[in-house]
Amino acid sequence: MIRIEKDAWDRMVAHARSAYPDECCGAMLGAIDNSHKTVKVAVELENAYQGERGNRYELRPEDLLRADREARRQGLDLIGIFHSHPDADAYFSATDLKNSCPWYSFVVLSVKGGEFDHAACYLPNADQTAADSEELVYPN
Amino acid sequence: MAKVLIPTPLRQYSDKLDSVELSGATVGEVLGELTGRYDELRRHLYSDEGKLRSFVNVYVNDEDIRYLQREATPLTDKDTVSIVPSIAGGAHGD
Ligand SMILES: [Zn+2]
Repeated sequence: MIRIEKDAWDRMVAHARSAYPDECCGAMLGAIDNSHKTVKVAVELENAYQGERGNRYELRPEDLLRADREARRQGLDLIGIFHSHPDADAYFSATDLKNSCPWYSFVVLSVKGGEFDHAACYLPNADQTAADSEELVYPN
Repeated sequence: MAKVLIPTPLRQYSDKLDSVELSGATVGEVLGELTGRYDELRRHLYSDEGKLRSFVNVYVNDEDIRYLQREATPLTDKDTVSIVPSIAGGAHGD
């Protein structure tokens, strides 16, 4: 189960809306207590995909490295990645799966007509052949 | 001793440590020490052929080892090694 605190969630939704009609992406920092994850801080990262960004995103590893350092500085952990699906549902696509990393929780935000619609979270397996759903709790 | 920072989800395989100090003259030696000490880490970082997994990037301080001397990159005591995944995706492809 992954729970997103209000400040972090507001940033994620704002980032997804402002990037629309492109996909946005970012890092989620927080804490893990056994299987309970809490996201306390969301960090907006640039979508570095070279091409049409309406249905693709790419994180720069350097940006992720900086987010990880920021997490450590704040006494938090990098626990997940978020990105948006403009005018599409919050499914975990074949592209998402193939380019994921099995270490993190992946939150997908569906943005329709520029407004947040719904979200879901996924845990890819080690071979990136399937992703389980992870229960996601976010503020209304 | 170089310091290796362990990504959060992999700390379950490193006795919960968020960083490990290891001896070794190169990145390859230090990662060998690390995966020798924590066997479970090996399969997360390396493929069955013993190559670093395609989504695994290794940084020495701020530099990607691909732009240095890869696993032969020399290390000093002051160096910090970070393990950073490549991540991308998108709604494309259903
Ligand atoms: Zn996606």
